Amino acid sequence: MIDELRQKARELLETGEVDLVIGYGEGSDPTRTMPVFIRRPEDCEKLVWNKYCYNNLTSYLTWPELKTRGKRAVVCKGCDAKAVVVLSKERQIDRKNVIVIGMACEGVGEPLLSKCEFCDVRTPKNCDIVIGPEITPLSKEKQFEDVEQLEARDPADRWEFWREQFSRCIKCYACRQACPLCYCTQCIVERNQPQWVPTSAHPRGNLAWNVMRAMHLAGRCIGCGECERVCPSNIPLMLANKKLAQVVKEQFGYESGYDIDEPLPMASFMPDDSDELFK
Amino acid sequence: MAEKEWTPKIVAFVCNWCTYAGADLAGTSRLKYDVNIRPIKLPCTGRIDPLFIVKAFEQGADGVLVSGCHPGDCHYTSGNYHARRRWIVFSELLRFLGIHEDRVQFAWVSAAEGAKWADLVNEVVAKVRELGPFTAYRELDSAEVVS
Amino acid sequence: MAEFKLNEGRLQELITKLRDAGYRVVAPVEEEGAFVFKEVTEPGQARLDVLRTARSIKEWFFPRVEPTLRYEFDGSAVRCESGLPESPQKTVIIGCRPCDAASLPMLDTLFDWDYRDEYWFRRREATTVISVACDVPDSYCFCTSVGGSPEGTAGADLLMRRTADGGYLLEPLTEKGRAIIEAGEGVLELASGTEEVLVGEVPQRFALDKVKPWLDQNFEHDYWKEISYKCLSCGICAFVCPTCHCFDIQDEADLERGVRIKSWDSCCFPIFTRHGSGHNPRPTRDTRYRQRVMHKFRYYVDKFGVTACVGCGRCSSSCPIDMNICSVVAGVAELAESSK
Repeated sequence: MIDELRQKARELLETGEVDLVIGYGEGSDPTRTMPVFIRRPEDCEKLVWNKYCYNNLTSYLTWPELKTRGKRAVVCKGCDAKAVVVLSKERQIDRKNVIVIGMACEGVGEPLLSKCEFCDVRTPKNCDIVIGPEITPLSKEKQFEDVEQLEARDPADRWEFWREQFSRCIKCYACRQACPLCYCTQCIVERNQPQWVPTSAHPRGNLAWNVMRAMHLAGRCIGCGECERVCPSNIPLMLANKKLAQVVKEQFGYESGYDIDEPLPMASFMPDDSDELFK
Repeated sequence: MAEKEWTPKIVAFVCNWCTYAGADLAGTSRLKYDVNIRPIKLPCTGRIDPLFIVKAFEQGADGVLVSGCHPGDCHYTSGNYHARRRWIVFSELLRFLGIHEDRVQFAWVSAAEGAKWADLVNEVVAKVRELGPFTAYRELDSAEVVS
Repeated sequence: MAEFKLNEGRLQELITKLRDAGYRVVAPVEEEGAFVFKEVTEPGQARLDVLRTARSIKEWFFPRVEPTLRYEFDGSAVRCESGLPESPQKTVIIGCRPCDAASLPMLDTLFDWDYRDEYWFRRREATTVISVACDVPDSYCFCTSVGGSPEGTAGADLLMRRTADGGYLLEPLTEKGRAIIEAGEGVLELASGTEEVLVGEVPQRFALDKVKPWLDQNFEHDYWKEISYKCLSCGICAFVCPTCHCFDIQDEADLERGVRIKSWDSCCFPIFTRHGSGHNPRPTRDTRYRQRVMHKFRYYVDKFGVTACVGCGRCSSSCPIDMNICSVVAGVAELAESSK
C-alpha cells in the first residue's frame, strides 16, 4: 500500500494537479509518525503508512498558512475522511480543491484504539482515491457502551467523575488544536470582553471549557478521538462527545461525516422535533 | 456578613415577544408568584447560548429556566425551532454530567399566558427549593489548584 | 560528602519518617495512566522508577493557577487579601530527575531578575528536592547535550542513585539535604563505598556550542517554516516543560468579590502576542516556534548565561505531532556545520 501511496502522491505533484501533499512521515521513534508536508515529487519517499498513523491530518486543511494557490492532497484514514465531509458542508474548504487519499485501515495503535473496534469506514468513504483492499466494516452496535455504562451510574457519582476528570485539565487546548472541526479564528475562550470562559485551569473554568467544546461539536464531531489521544491528562473527552453523538442520532436520526448533502443537525430543524422537554 | 437563610436563585432566560410579555401580563393581572426568579430578556430563545446557562450556575444560580414562544409562533419565524434542538442536546449533556434535570427547565409561554407564567415560576422554584442550593457547582469555584 | 544507603524495600519507611518529621512528601504518583508529582498519602504510591512524569516539578513552586489577590466589596468598603503564601508547608519532592532539579536554579535567576518573585521563593525555601539519577534513559533524553547529566546535582538538595542490589545511595548536597538524612535516621545507614551504582548513559545528540552562533545570525531562515508546518499551536510543550515560565494574569470578579489569578500561558498559543489593536507580531506557527527555540537557546543565554532547556524530552514525547526539540536543535547544529 505504501508504494501505491507514494506513487499516487508523486503523480499528483508531478502533473501539477496538487501543490501540496499532507501525509504521515517517520517519527522520533518507531512507535510514532509525524505529519509531513510535501511539495516536491521526490520527497514522496518520506511518506509512511502504519498502525502509528494517529493524527487526523484534515485539521491542517483550515490553517491559513497551508492554503495553496492550487489543490491540496491529504492522506486520510476512514475516520479522518469524515471530517472533510463536515468541513465541506460548513464551507471551510472547497471540496473540489482537496484530493482526499483514503487509506484502507484495520485500526491504529498498539493496543488498538477503542474507536477502531467499531469502525465502519475501514475502507474510507467519500474519498477521491482509495488505496488498499476492500475491508469489511465492523458493527457499530456497541459503540456507545462506555457512554451507557457511565449513564447507568448515580447522578452524584457522575458529577464526581466529571469533576475529578476536569480538575486535571491544564487548559493546554491540545484537544481544540488537534480537532479538525475546531477551526474558529477566535475561539470562545479568546473572547475577553467579557471573558466568557475563564482562561485559568481551575475546576470551574475547566468545566465551562469542556462543556462548551462538547456543545460546539454536537452533531459535528466525527469521532476521530484525537482530542482524547492528545490530552496530556488522559481525560476521556470522547465520552462527552459520544454522548452527544448518541443524542443527535436518536433524536434527529443524524450521524456526522457520512452524507455531504444532509443538512447539519444543529443548523437545521424539523417542525415536529420533540417537545417532551418543554412545559 | 451574616449568613442569610437560603432561598433559591433562579435565572430565567426569556424571549421578548412571548414569555416576557406573558410575564408582564401576569404582573398587570396582579397574579402573585414566587420572587426568587430573575428574568433576563433576550430577543428570542434562539439567541440563548448554552454558555449563558453555564455562566448562570457559575455566578451562583441554583436553577435556570428557559422560556419562549410556542413552536410555530416565533416572532423571528424559526428561532425557537433552533433553540429546541439546542436544548434537547444540552439538557442531555448536563444530565450526563450529573446535574439534576430540575435545575434547568424549559417551557413555552406565550404573551397571553400570564397565568401559565405564574404557575410555571412557582413550580420551578418549588422544585429547586427541594433540591437545595447548587453547592456542588459552587464548590468548583476554587481558585486554588493544588498541583 | 558522605553517602548513605537506603536498602531495597525501605522507601516507604523513609517516607513515613519524613512525614513524621513534618514534611509533606511529594513524589511521582499514578493518575489515570499518567504520572504526575502529587502528595503521597498511601503506601506504595511513590514511584521512583518512572523516568519521565507527564509534568515537571515546577508546579510545586509555580502553580498553574495562583490567586495573587482576593478582594471583597461589602457595599461601602473594599477588603483585600494577598494571595502570597504566608508560610508554605514544609515539603520534600522525592523522585524527580536531575534534569527536573536543574531547572530550579535557572528559574531562580529569572524570578529574581527584575524583582524578587516571593510567590516562587517562599515555596522554594520551604521545599527540599531529592532527585534520582537515571539508570535507564530513553531516546527522548538529551540532558548531556545541554550541559546536564543523568547524575547531575544542579538544583538538588540530595541525589539518590540506584544500586545493583535494589537499594539507593543518598548523597546530601546542601543543608536541606543533610536535614533529610537526619530525618531518615534509623532507616538509612552509612554507605560502604563498594556499592555498584546504576547510572545510564545519554549520548551527545548535538554540539551545543554550534547552536547559539547560528541562532544569532539566522532569525530569518526557511528552516523555521520547514520545521513548524505541523505545529498545532497548543500549549502542551510549554506546560510540561520544567523551564517554561510565562504566565497570564486574569481578574475574575463579579459585583461583590474578585480574585486576581496568575496562570500558565504559552508563547505557542496563537494569541499570545496579540496586541490590543489586533495586530499580532507572531501570527504564524513558524514565528512562534522560532520564538520557543530562540528563547531557550539564544535569548536566555544572552540574558542569564545559561541555556533554558534541561533536555528532559517531555515536550517531544508529549507533543501530539511529534515535534522533537532535540531534532530541531540538532538540525540547527547541522546547518551551522554545513554553512561553514
